[in-house]
Amino acid sequence: MQRSIRTAALTAILLVPLVTPAAADWRTLDSAQAAPSYTYRGTIRAINARTGTLELITGVGLSLRVVQMTTARTTRIVTASATPRFAELKPGDVVRAECRRTGEGLVADQIEKLKVGAR
Amino acid sequence: MTRPGVAVTILLLALGCKKPVHPGDPLSDLTEQQLERFGRGKLVFDSVFTPATGLGPLFNSVACGECHEKPAGGRGDEVEVHATAFRGGACDPLVQEGGPVIQRHAIPALKQALGIDSEPFPPSATARALRTSPVVFGRGLLDFVPDSVILAYADPDDKNHDGVRGRPNRFVDGRIGRFGRKAFVPTLREFNAGAFVAEMGVTDPAQPTEENIGGKPIPAGVDVAADPELTQEAFNVTDDFVRFLAPPTPLKVGKEGRRGRQLFSQLGCAACHVPTLRTGPRGMPAFRNREVAAYTDLLLHDMGPDLADICLGQAGPADFRTEPLLDLRGAEHFLHDGRATTLEQAIELHGGEGSGARDRFKGLSATDRAAVVAFLKSL
Repeated sequence: MQRSIRTAALTAILLVPLVTPAAADWRTLDSAQAAPSYTYRGTIRAINARTGTLELITGVGLSLRVVQMTTARTTRIVTASATPRFAELKPGDVVRAECRRTGEGLVADQIEKLKVGAR
Repeated sequence: MTRPGVAVTILLLALGCKKPVHPGDPLSDLTEQQLERFGRGKLVFDSVFTPATGLGPLFNSVACGECHEKPAGGRGDEVEVHATAFRGGACDPLVQEGGPVIQRHAIPALKQALGIDSEPFPPSATARALRTSPVVFGRGLLDFVPDSVILAYADPDDKNHDGVRGRPNRFVDGRIGRFGRKAFVPTLREFNAGAFVAEMGVTDPAQPTEENIGGKPIPAGVDVAADPELTQEAFNVTDDFVRFLAPPTPLKVGKEGRRGRQLFSQLGCAACHVPTLRTGPRGMPAFRNREVAAYTDLLLHDMGPDLADICLGQAGPADFRTEPLLDLRGAEHFLHDGRATTLEQAIELHGGEGSGARDRFKGLSATDRAAVVAFLKSL
């Protein structure tokens, strides 16, 4: 009896993802229900100021991902600087990037440099 | 209760004895609600995933409890493969080639689509590492040790001239790491969230995307479960289950074990295997201002070329985090890859910063070496 209750509870827990949407700020390229915007928090792995492209390394624990995106002239850069520029960003910086998907891949609408604190 | 039972209870209370914590037990001072979450989390931890419920396409195991078993949260006999590239002093976790965890199994649909039984080994890797599944008891308490406590034990320039130079590892975003054999992961929650995906291919809200297959996208129709494949609540209770697992109470030691404990310190083992760390004032009451007798400093130490394998974060190939010494009584294999089958072997395989203590251990009489082992087996 106890076992069947446990099995039912577990089944319910495991089936819920099939009927509930993903967390609002995690919209991914692979999602079947692609939303118009995607937010990534990650660390800049590579950046090219000339081409306006950057690669973020995102993820948790030992499950990491690389996300590539480009910038447009309209991309907002948010840093502590009074006149933030894309060229200020460098590998190792932690950023939150708000992007949209286009035919040419992800394009960043805003890139905000974040501070990382101690615990 | 019988008269002798009452007498024993009164005697125990009078002596201030606490009920010993066995491997797999929860922390002793959890609330009823936390105990209920512990129980629900254990169900998810022990549940077997299938492709329909999110397993794969690549995976190492079908359940958390398949590797962390006997009891749930304990160690297992599975060995997994990690790969990274170390070039010019920099470490590449080879994310775009499927690293750093290289899964050893594929679900039937992936086998059928690509004809592979496991993830292809990354062609750019400079090293391959084998990793056993450690016990996860006491990890919740270690999560609440403040960074400042870890840093207080660091001595990267060996200013005290003891030959031991602990230093912290850092995650890709610069935060201090503490979990995993290379201390790469900053928090238990992130380690657990990453493990669902890296070990079972079960996506969760913190990592809602599957990894690629050796750098290539997953073939259409192979991954049938919608992402994330685990709900936030199912993840949260599993995280709580792991977090609430208590460090087992050390077994009572006799004269030999007490002598071993003394020698452990005198030999210099405790320079890295720091007997206790103190948690900070933040978090749930069960985690605040507690001494954690885990025998680790959570720092990286150079263990010499014979143990070296992969890099990870700022850890070079020879750098390993001091392994917590918890539940050694039940261990049959030792070190990060399980290459040692006895505690004596494990000590004798210490190199680099551990070589001083190792040599002093080797210089002991057989009786004293046995005392050190007796002490370790009490943990």
